[in-house]
Amino acid sequence: MGAVDVLYERFEKNLQAVNGNSWLADKAEAAGIIAQAYKDEGVDSVCIAESPLLQEIGLAKALADAGMEVYTDHLRLHAETAKGGVLEAQCGIADLGSIIQLSDDIDNRIVAIMPEYCIGVVRLSEIVDDYDAMFDKLCSLETLPAFVGFITGPSRTADIECVSTVGVHGPLKLSIVVIKDV
Amino acid sequence: MANEALKQEIKSALSNKTLGRTLGTFCETYPERRLKSYEGVDFEETRENIRRVKGYAADHIDEMIEEFTKNCTARGGHVFHATSADEAIEFVRNLVKEKGVQTIVKSKSMASEEIHMNKILGDDGVLVQETDLGEFIIALEGNTPVHMVMPALHLNKEQVADLFTDYTKVENKPIISEEVKTARKVMRDKFTHADMGVSGANVAVAETGTVFTMTNEGNGRMVGTLPKIHLYVFGIEKFVKSLSDARYIFKALPRNGTAQRLTAYLSLYTGANEVVLDKETDEKGPKDFYCVILDDPGRREILAEESFREIFDCIRCGACLDVCPAFALLGGHVYGSNVYTGGIGTLLSHFLVSEERAEQIQNICLQCGRCKEVCGGGLHIPEMIMKLRERSMEKHPNPTYKFALDAVSDRKLFHSMLRIASIAQPAFMKQGQPMMRHLPMFLSGLSEGRSLPKIAQVPFRDVFPTIEQNVPNPKGKIAIFTGCLLDFVYIDTAKAVIKDLNSIGYIVDMPMGQSCCGAPATYMGDRENAKKTAELNINAMAAENYDYIVSACPTCTHQIREYEQFFQDDPEMLAKAKELGEKSYDFCKLFHMLGGLSDEGDGKELNITYHDSCHLKRSMGVFKEQRELLTHTKGVHLTEMKESDNCCGFGGTYSIKFPEVAAPILERKVEHIKETGADTVAVDCPGCMMQISGGLDARDIPVDVKHTAVIIAEKRGLM
Repeated sequence: MGAVDVLYERFEKNLQAVNGNSWLADKAEAAGIIAQAYKDEGVDSVCIAESPLLQEIGLAKALADAGMEVYTDHLRLHAETAKGGVLEAQCGIADLGSIIQLSDDIDNRIVAIMPEYCIGVVRLSEIVDDYDAMFDKLCSLETLPAFVGFITGPSRTADIECVSTVGVHGPLKLSIVVIKDV
Repeated sequence: MANEALKQEIKSALSNKTLGRTLGTFCETYPERRLKSYEGVDFEETRENIRRVKGYAADHIDEMIEEFTKNCTARGGHVFHATSADEAIEFVRNLVKEKGVQTIVKSKSMASEEIHMNKILGDDGVLVQETDLGEFIIALEGNTPVHMVMPALHLNKEQVADLFTDYTKVENKPIISEEVKTARKVMRDKFTHADMGVSGANVAVAETGTVFTMTNEGNGRMVGTLPKIHLYVFGIEKFVKSLSDARYIFKALPRNGTAQRLTAYLSLYTGANEVVLDKETDEKGPKDFYCVILDDPGRREILAEESFREIFDCIRCGACLDVCPAFALLGGHVYGSNVYTGGIGTLLSHFLVSEERAEQIQNICLQCGRCKEVCGGGLHIPEMIMKLRERSMEKHPNPTYKFALDAVSDRKLFHSMLRIASIAQPAFMKQGQPMMRHLPMFLSGLSEGRSLPKIAQVPFRDVFPTIEQNVPNPKGKIAIFTGCLLDFVYIDTAKAVIKDLNSIGYIVDMPMGQSCCGAPATYMGDRENAKKTAELNINAMAAENYDYIVSACPTCTHQIREYEQFFQDDPEMLAKAKELGEKSYDFCKLFHMLGGLSDEGDGKELNITYHDSCHLKRSMGVFKEQRELLTHTKGVHLTEMKESDNCCGFGGTYSIKFPEVAAPILERKVEHIKETGADTVAVDCPGCMMQISGGLDARDIPVDVKHTAVIIAEKRGLM
């Protein structure tokens, strides 16, 4: 197994440990996987925070072809009712199963937090080893984006009787598609 | 000290079954879950770094404020530096008025609690909504947080369902997953309609003007994503210099707080980040971004005080609560502050909330030191609480305790009281048992749920001259410091110490001028009497005449080692105190060090379990030596009990002040002992010995409690 596969497997294992799941996919497969995932969960409306990568994989079309209502603008409005949200995250951390938004784009932030089922897309080449590597990367940026967000699994709480419950104000479900670009 | 209102609150906390069950389970499982979350991360190194970076910020606080303000402003944010709580809340009130804000959604901000933001804005007619599930629940209940990280632990799912039913006017079933869904639904509408979001910062970075917020539920994200106005309120203790410095805090905070390697969300906001200004037109632009830095006189007071300055290193993880034996029983409400609870809460309340309240609650601390082991900022919480006690004792001396402590620090008076007690006590003896239910005089009120030992008819100081020490070619001379319990109660333990040391070639002497070590006075905050006994013992022990000083009571050893603090401006006494401190060891450490480890033993089966004394394990770091000594002894089998280093509840004078708290702590210890099936509990502290044997006796459990020195002497046939 190559170093890249090991990295992905670590990412997947750690994401699963916080109740998320992931797929490793070629660009050609990615849109299909996302469409299938939403179909399986009965999601019929999805907000996409478009990015060159999400456009390149043809996500909006794939979801529409699968019969879903797809929104790529007015996301603040539509995310109030849409069940799914897809964003591209700029980085990932293998050791934690985290994805990191390095962008002030408000649409990106809206789809990450409002819909019930969030799917993040991240390039395998952008997954760093661990937390410290991620901080080193942040520190090396010339200008820190006005927003940086780490997402590690779906939202959760243990506020009632210390019973761990997944899905509170943020997504109830979180999946990550890792794009095999190396 | 422990006034009636506080006693009443303690009683009510102890009778809350949900709190007991939930908090009990949480605290019991916490240490292991926490440890697991640190796999691959060096905790000591992490907290060293936290101390370093937070210490740096504290030393350069004005620079931090200035730099943060400059950098946040450069990125389009607005920063208000409030030099008092009043200034802070006035700024917020005006902002709210000026912007026409009617509804606010809030994720956790402790600083906003300090300035009573919810109440004051509420009175102005603004709807302030707490969005964290736990905070939301207690807001519905009209209560304050019972825990800094888990605010609604005291309520069960049935009570939550009732509160939700009242609020939503729809029946809510007592099913946790359903209740969480209700919270999502209720809050969703608030998030999408709020005019303003309010957040608290876990860290603020001066160099970049960045604020960090950690949440699990995603409410923090909603607050930072949807409203067009976003206000941060945080205290000056949140600063670090660089982005890189911030990393250390988020290594420890989730692990210590909730035993997570990272929470679901960690968000960094740098200045006026983007927001949707009009959802119908999809117009976007920078939000109105405000930071209020709370720099009130209480915070400056902390910085100005050398002995309390490290409070700034606190990362608000709550670990000190989770390992505190008293907190595990009581929860946070008895700490009385709406904001901070537990050991750290006692300190923060003193400076930031209410000195009066802090004065009462500082006594809840057992001084067991468990919090220090896990503290994310490496704070010396018990020592600082002790300093507060000293201050309050100076300010408001308690006549009863003062009388007792004056008596104890007067050797002749104290010793004659004990001698009188030894004659008066047979009337109190339990039938046919060498135990008594009540001690006379100032020690009464001590015996809830346990029996107390008998005071010896003949104290050890009178027995000592009759002990034959047959040591040909002695290797050295050791002075024994007996402390009160060995001198007047556990005579056999003192004898065993001498016999054991004789057996490895040392002669033992007992300087007769010695008295109480002074720990009771110290724990009660009576520095004057503590110093008086220190002086008396330093002169009496004449350390210059001996190779070592041995004590079989870790509390005494610890106290003796601390004597030098009393004589910082008296070079002659300081030198003597140092010599005494440096030569003083606890029995098992010294015996092990001088070659006492041996396989000798009568070979007769003895099943033991071991209880670690707080001082021996945590203050002196001795826990291996005595186990080695015991397990090498032929015939001895050691079965470790659960939580062997959890306090037994004795805590010096604690069991006098809070018998209702000490009793369940002891109960738990007794249960863990029973579970091992051992026939003897080995201990190294006569205080623990008294507490545990009292607990076992009161429950008629036939398990012996013996000092390590006694077990060794018996098994090696030395006495």
